Amino acid sequence: MDTAEDTSNLISVNASLSTRDYLIEMWNRRDFAISVPLEQLRSAHKTTLLGNLWHLGNPLLTIAVFYFVFGTLLKSDRGIDNYLLWLTIGVFTFRLSSSAVLGGATSISANKGLIRAIKFPRALLPISVVTSHVMTFGIELSLLAAFTLTSGVGLSRRLLLLPAIIVLHTAFNLGGALIAARLNEAFRDIQQIIPFVFRLLQYVSGVMFPIQSFLGDGIHGPAARVLSLNPILRIIDLYRWAFLGTAVDVGETLRVAGISLALLWFGFRYFRAAEWRYGRA
Amino acid sequence: MSNPISLLVRDLHVDYEIFEDRRAALRDRIVRHQGTGRSVVHAIRGLSFDVAEGQAIGIIGSNGSGKSTLLAAVAGLLPPTSGEILVSEEPKLLGVGAMLLPAATGWRNISIGCLALGMTADEVDARIHEIAHFTGLGEALDRPLRTYSSGMKARLHFAVSTSVRPRILLIDEALAVGDQKFHKKASARIEELLAGAGTLLLVSHSMRSIEQNCERVLWIEQGRLRSDGKPAAVIEEYERFAS
Repeated sequence: MDTAEDTSNLISVNASLSTRDYLIEMWNRRDFAISVPLEQLRSAHKTTLLGNLWHLGNPLLTIAVFYFVFGTLLKSDRGIDNYLLWLTIGVFTFRLSSSAVLGGATSISANKGLIRAIKFPRALLPISVVTSHVMTFGIELSLLAAFTLTSGVGLSRRLLLLPAIIVLHTAFNLGGALIAARLNEAFRDIQQIIPFVFRLLQYVSGVMFPIQSFLGDGIHGPAARVLSLNPILRIIDLYRWAFLGTAVDVGETLRVAGISLALLWFGFRYFRAAEWRYGRA
Repeated sequence: MSNPISLLVRDLHVDYEIFEDRRAALRDRIVRHQGTGRSVVHAIRGLSFDVAEGQAIGIIGSNGSGKSTLLAAVAGLLPPTSGEILVSEEPKLLGVGAMLLPAATGWRNISIGCLALGMTADEVDARIHEIAHFTGLGEALDRPLRTYSSGMKARLHFAVSTSVRPRILLIDEALAVGDQKFHKKASARIEELLAGAGTLLLVSHSMRSIEQNCERVLWIEQGRLRSDGKPAAVIEEYERFAS
């Protein structure tokens, strides 16, 4: 064969894309990023009798259990008005974070078939998982809005800021999902550990009882400070502020916004740095 | 003067690191290379060749000789340990083992596969019936992919991968499993592709399908090039080696 040919028109198959090109490439496949999670939502509860109703049935049962244990048995609602609504907001929001990060962790291994067959920006996989959970969250929020109306609290103008809160929350979740995806690819053990991390977080994020009031009189010093750094606690506070008008700390909100964006930025870079490795062997 | 080069492989090496046991691998990382569980497989050891536009190349060799690894590397799915792979356009790999979304129906797999290849939702809507028709799967398209036979999966995958008319198409054994009728359709589509200055790399154990579709054959053994030339000559040499 003639090897003295001009090869200047050829490009390397392994040339890594610049961040800009990578983002463009992802944008070009946005329809793909939406269709995969829709498909997963559709098939998640296919084998059950109630099918897709479980997307709501599961969080509602969780709320019922927590209401019984923390509201009725332990009476740890500590004089919160509308405890049921307060709890519902906590459960819905917390679930969005935990399922997004856990879903992100398994997004690479669950899509080995696609990864081995087709070359596309792998970050689309954790992104599509997070997208699918945001979609379910949207349904939960409309349910929540209906509860809020019927309970006599009414819908406040503060809810106009809800999209901004969701964007911030999603940045945080996506950052976590991207990091979990890469970690789980190196150590499959991560997906066993994540549920326990979130179980702990659930107790210290004020999901079922107001951890702030415990911080006030129960715990002091460094422990209280560490617990109050928890970004999820602050994110749930933002939703409660929007729906119920409970207090929110502006300084803390800005700090959480900073953390969320930093986490997303770091998560994206961290995920991409090992991109070539996903789906090997 | 011959056609311009569309694929150039220079001194390609691909190694796999195999973890035989996940737990051993974790211990390994903590105790720094103590214990076993990790080994390196040299799948490709110094391959060089180039392919001109419009050429159809068959790749033959024993099991484990590195054929599939070579295709995955050319597709950009497996990074080389060293050496380089240059292409004129992004190659598309078509493998028989590839499962898209096992729980989803054939229809959804066609649409998701096309989207992953870079089509927009509108383009998929416009073309999905033509693609579905090409698979010839009929009512089976309503069933989940996991219920398909390997031949049916190959047909679906072939239809999806060739729907974007790739200029460089890599086929890994996918033609061997389709039935006779589909075989003809597939060959026709490959010819169409080659006529449009496309390039084909075809890995197969079926010497018949290699002779039918290819004008040149590479014989790979243990990750190295054993022979490169006209199909009849290389296949004869290979068959003498294999028997």
